[in-house]
Amino acid sequence: MISRKRMARTIAGELLFLLLTLFVLIPVYYFIIGAFKGRLDIVKFPLSINLSMIKDVGFSNFSYVFKRMKMFQALLNTGAITIFSLVIVVICGSLAGFVISRVNRKFFSAVYTTLVALMVVPFIGCLIPLVIQSTQLKTYNSLIGCILIQSAWNLPFAVFLFTGFMRALPKELEESAYIDGCTMIGTYFKIFLPLLAPVTATCCIRGGVGIWNDYLVSNSLLNSVQTPTLMVGINMFFGARKTEYGYAFAGIILASLPIVILFLFLQKYFIKGIVAGAVKG
Amino acid sequence: MKDVKAMALNHEKVKKNTPFERQRTITGVCFLLPTIILVAVFIIWPLFQVFNLSFFEWNGVSSTKRFVGLSNYTTLSDLPGFWEMSWGTIVYAVGVTVFTIAISFLVALFLDKQGKARINRSFMRVLWFFPCLLSMAVVGILWRIMYNYNNGVINTVLKSLGLSPVNWLETYGVTRWAIIIASVWTQVGMCVVIFLAGLQAVPIELFEAAEIDGANSRQKLLRITIPMMAPSITINMLTTTIAAFKMYELPMIVSNGLPGYNTLLLTKKIYDLGFTSHDFGRGSALSVVLILVITIISLIQLFFLRKREEV
Repeated sequence: MISRKRMARTIAGELLFLLLTLFVLIPVYYFIIGAFKGRLDIVKFPLSINLSMIKDVGFSNFSYVFKRMKMFQALLNTGAITIFSLVIVVICGSLAGFVISRVNRKFFSAVYTTLVALMVVPFIGCLIPLVIQSTQLKTYNSLIGCILIQSAWNLPFAVFLFTGFMRALPKELEESAYIDGCTMIGTYFKIFLPLLAPVTATCCIRGGVGIWNDYLVSNSLLNSVQTPTLMVGINMFFGARKTEYGYAFAGIILASLPIVILFLFLQKYFIKGIVAGAVKG
Repeated sequence: MKDVKAMALNHEKVKKNTPFERQRTITGVCFLLPTIILVAVFIIWPLFQVFNLSFFEWNGVSSTKRFVGLSNYTTLSDLPGFWEMSWGTIVYAVGVTVFTIAISFLVALFLDKQGKARINRSFMRVLWFFPCLLSMAVVGILWRIMYNYNNGVINTVLKSLGLSPVNWLETYGVTRWAIIIASVWTQVGMCVVIFLAGLQAVPIELFEAAEIDGANSRQKLLRITIPMMAPSITINMLTTTIAAFKMYELPMIVSNGLPGYNTLLLTKKIYDLGFTSHDFGRGSALSVVLILVITIISLIQLFFLRKREEV
């Protein structure tokens, strides 16, 4: 009897939860099915889908977006910015973390404190001087400028992650390497680098999602016609004017797919990155 | 605790002037150099520059900047829509924070429960996290379409339920809430993750002891779960508030500050001052205000975290 009562309560709770879940579910469901429907079907039957709707449209929304939006170029630009920034961030961040966690000097801990404090600064607060600076350095509308800015703004958090991770590694590792005659550079490459895989993954995912999804940096520092990135390109295409919904949904899916696939395989590191970010000072 | 720290410090106190240590310091500086250069050029210098620029009147083109002292700050309130923007930004930040925390706490409580006759938890967790994976730019387009008066899904559903449609993006006072709802949608997932991590860290013994004492589930929630979750709640509150103050893309794309100045946020005003009206002086002054606000919130966050570490 008691268990039946408990069962009823569980089911009631689940129903409530399901109702709450509709808040996230409906928009997601709406745009995913919308990408496979025609214009009239999206407006008239926003939340239903059947085979005849799909049959008429198929993947034509996707192919249209891919052709018309300069998707390929945008994909290349965004990909290049993301990958090169991450390479710079990981190399510089791990080297800095290594030094800060292993060499006991006041100067190094001062650098660390400064970097951690800089995590607070909002990008948009520095936007005006950064744009002026990019015209002075002649890096306006160059991918290199964008890559350098993205790396710089992602570095403080990376150094924070790497330093925390390396502080937890035992000192004996390093000492035995020195006794065997290894230099500091050698120690870094031979002893520490192989151990850094998990924290590197966390760092890359956390930074990579931000850079891939970035709109503000590339919108203000790149010419959006000559050098579009994914998010800027999509907004030029669908932002202001009256849009064909099916195309917009297809564009949203295409632009987000890489990150979503990455998430499905590497969930653990996504979660780690968020929790680490929350506990930061 | 202090003894252990002292011991560790003693252990660290190696002689610093041996050739070996000097060598390590030099190598260390070389290793740090790329980081220092990048951060100095692209964060510290602009940060210094934004303070500097806020004391000048400059349109970004002319070769001379005119020093005006603090007048960029004192004339901020003359900007069109300044008070509405300030109030709107605060309402936005508070609204997003309150709703995000409330919803995500509830969701985390549900997700934490496991057992038969419940929906697959890992699926639900992925679903609730999903919006966080999308770019703000993309979320903006999506909600803009959903809020559309004639063709948007929200009004279609309202009509099919027999309610009258709402002009979400052009009604004074309503649009602000439309923006808040869309922002909550993107923020909830992050908070859920942090709350879940917090919930899993609550020791089960506490609940067992409470059960032996005959506590019901509401008492357990109020007396154990919520107090134990206080740190996570604080962290989530502050990070969400900071994210709300930093938010630029979503309101810009969904409603572009309209109607009137109803959804104009501080961030958008900075952008407009800088790149539409080329008033770099006042744009910088407003940037400084934003940086100060966020710094203050972060300091509060730091204070709470320190306190927790001491306990």
